[in-house]
Amino acid sequence: MKRLIPILVLLSVLIAGCCDPLPPLTPTSTSEPFPSSDFTPTPIRLVYGLTLAPSGIDPHVNASSELGIPLTSMYDTLVYLDPNTGDFVPGLAEDWDVSENELVYTFYLREGVTFHDGTSFDAEAVRFNLDRITSPDLASQKASFMLGPYERVEVVDDYTVRIYLSEPFAPLIDSFSQVYLGMASPAAVEKWGSDYQLHQVGTGPFVFAEYIPQDHLLLRRNPDYAWGPEIYQHDAALADEIEFRFFVDPATRSPALETGEVDIMGEIPPQDAGRLAESDDFRIEAVPIPGVSLMFFLNTTRPPLDDVKVRQALLFATDRQAIVSTIFRDTSPVAYGPLAANTFGYESEVQDYYAYNPTQAASLLDEAGWKDTDGDGIRDKDGEPLILDMTLMGWGYMPEVGQLLAAQWSTLGIEVNSPPPVSYPEALEIAGEGRYHLIPFNLSGSDPDILRKFFHSQASFNWSKLDDAELDTWLEAAVRTSDWEEREALYSQIQLRVMTQALVLPIRDYVNLNGVNDHVQGLRFDAQGWFPWLIDVTASEIQ
Amino acid sequence: MIARYVGRRLAQAAFVLWLAVTLAFVAMQLTPGDPAQALLAASGATEQEIAERRAQLGLDAPLPLQYVRYIRRLAQADLGQSWLHSRPVGQMILEQLPATAELAVSAILVGTALGMALGILAALRRSSWLDTAATAVAVLGLSAPTYWSGLLAILLFSLQLGWFPAAGEGDLRHLLLPSLVLGFALAGSIARLVRARVLEVMEEPFVQAARARGLAPWRVFLVHVLRPALPTALTIVALQFGFLLGGAVITESVFARRGLGKLAVEAIIWRDLPVVRGVIVFGALAYVLVNLAADLAQAWLAPRLREELA
Repeated sequence: MKRLIPILVLLSVLIAGCCDPLPPLTPTSTSEPFPSSDFTPTPIRLVYGLTLAPSGIDPHVNASSELGIPLTSMYDTLVYLDPNTGDFVPGLAEDWDVSENELVYTFYLREGVTFHDGTSFDAEAVRFNLDRITSPDLASQKASFMLGPYERVEVVDDYTVRIYLSEPFAPLIDSFSQVYLGMASPAAVEKWGSDYQLHQVGTGPFVFAEYIPQDHLLLRRNPDYAWGPEIYQHDAALADEIEFRFFVDPATRSPALETGEVDIMGEIPPQDAGRLAESDDFRIEAVPIPGVSLMFFLNTTRPPLDDVKVRQALLFATDRQAIVSTIFRDTSPVAYGPLAANTFGYESEVQDYYAYNPTQAASLLDEAGWKDTDGDGIRDKDGEPLILDMTLMGWGYMPEVGQLLAAQWSTLGIEVNSPPPVSYPEALEIAGEGRYHLIPFNLSGSDPDILRKFFHSQASFNWSKLDDAELDTWLEAAVRTSDWEEREALYSQIQLRVMTQALVLPIRDYVNLNGVNDHVQGLRFDAQGWFPWLIDVTASEIQ
Repeated sequence: MIARYVGRRLAQAAFVLWLAVTLAFVAMQLTPGDPAQALLAASGATEQEIAERRAQLGLDAPLPLQYVRYIRRLAQADLGQSWLHSRPVGQMILEQLPATAELAVSAILVGTALGMALGILAALRRSSWLDTAATAVAVLGLSAPTYWSGLLAILLFSLQLGWFPAAGEGDLRHLLLPSLVLGFALAGSIARLVRARVLEVMEEPFVQAARARGLAPWRVFLVHVLRPALPTALTIVALQFGFLLGGAVITESVFARRGLGKLAVEAIIWRDLPVVRGVIVFGALAYVLVNLAADLAQAWLAPRLREELA
């Protein structure tokens, strides 16, 4: 019997050691007083589910929005964009001014800011960062292109830095509000070289504690943080640790939230969102994403879509509300124009265009000479049937939307030919060669200059195959002037032109459905829609 | 004479490697999509900037020249740098290797144990209901795709019963379900081959002779039936293990584990050619080495083969 007790103790210790650790004991007022007079609060630890194992997470190199979700709270940026007012507020730069000719930007930096490795943030650090981003060796996939016609940077004094452009570029300040131009510690970059993405160092409210590629990323509270922008609600982070894990398969996201494996999960599929929203333990925080809505580009150089009447007929023939209800379970608003409704510069007049009207569609097609002369159910003209080639990609519910469109249009005598969905690089190749009538896409971005990527005749995403000189002029003028009213007027014209010419078929605005455990509080997202401000996030009871 | 055998096998291995490496090069060139465009198009790069990046990546050189450069670098054990991550490919592979090796080893253990058990059971109880049942289980393992059996296993054991975590890595509990799922798939082919081979060996005269000599049945079985049947089992286990070291892509995806399979898939999607080629070269190397080791082990196990080599 005497031997049994130590054996039992040993066994229980072993068993306890191999299972999940017991939750930390919470102090109660009825228990004995603690030996030390300091009260140590239980650490607040959250698990955040990301959807993709990011393909590289160096914000200066890589382009994914996934990397920004943890790193927006690990880096600080020169300025911050307030999503409610649309104004830029000071960040690491206390103030800035722009020269008359809009070619020189001077930033007056905040003093007393330190990187997580103890080194100081100053103008030299900004120069180092910009040199790194624009160096050909780094092969940046996004950050360097966000600088537009950037020429060079100049250190004026310890806390003043000047940036020179070769042409005016209105989106520059917006670029400096994004994590891709976040300020990294020069000492850390030099120390780690090509391994820097595994040991990143910034100035933000969280420290990059650990990153095991494709496994998890750990952020830890920065106790020295004292220079947050006014849009942060707290001076320092409330949570002690946030762990990020990856859930690539959409079917695994909701279960991970419901079993408590994660506290927050992004991109919940629409069919699971309803269940979570109704549950008592969870909620859905739906965040609309600014940028270009999910829409189909109509190839205006390929008959019959070279006829504006046929294009307009397609828009009238589409019941977008039905698509949004069926496929997206009404979690997204219907899109009426090329820009998502919450993008700055959105022209709301587009909402009056192309309400679902199959009769109008039919008469437009008749007018264009497309009638069903041989009674096979498909319209034809000069012996050619009305068959449209629709290229689809495998993500973002594009195949489902394509299917529904084909069904809706078949009642009007339009046949859709859709090969199996293709990957992104293949879609780019097909788009480049113009081997389609319809091809979908959507892209996020906070500055309406994103329209230039799609509707300028020289743009890489000119998938409507436009060559509209007037549209080109408007787009070029809008990117050069910083006068917001002037820009707004130009973008309004641009959006209306796109819709009157029926260059695209808008479907829905992208909405990121975040599943959140009800004990999580303070979750807010920035102006890009994707990136949370983790400094204010906390949990009300420890699970 | 063993040296001659080993030398010959090494030469064969080198040829297989070269073939794999060349096929990898050719296959990726044939897939549609331009890597430079895939990386930069969405960032607002101009056509000129994309062309510059393409030149920087060496993609505008004529194909034979690209191939020569590729082979030359490989000979120096230089796998190059990932286009997507700007990090050395060799390092990225080494980072993912432990996870892949862990899954490979545990899946092989499960698969071999299960497969041998099923195969032997079926052979010893040939034509009985046990034989039918064991063979049916084996065929099920062979035919069921891992994305199906994996998701079913998660639904049952993770969500319904709560015995195992649904995904991720960490400890034995995370490893168990994927190993079982993958092992079950491997067990099928092992079982069928072991069954056939054991039946074959049992018909051999020396087995009858051993029984006639009055040896205990278990001894007859172990020494005179199982041992000759082992080389067959070893061959197929080696084949599967070598294959698994290249990364069990689907299992890794279903269970949200990292590994070479995931690395390769991401690289293929983004046309990150250096990484794709690196993973293929590594996979081919692992495959070739494992099979070489198996062949040498076989030579030790089967005396007759040793004599053939002499």
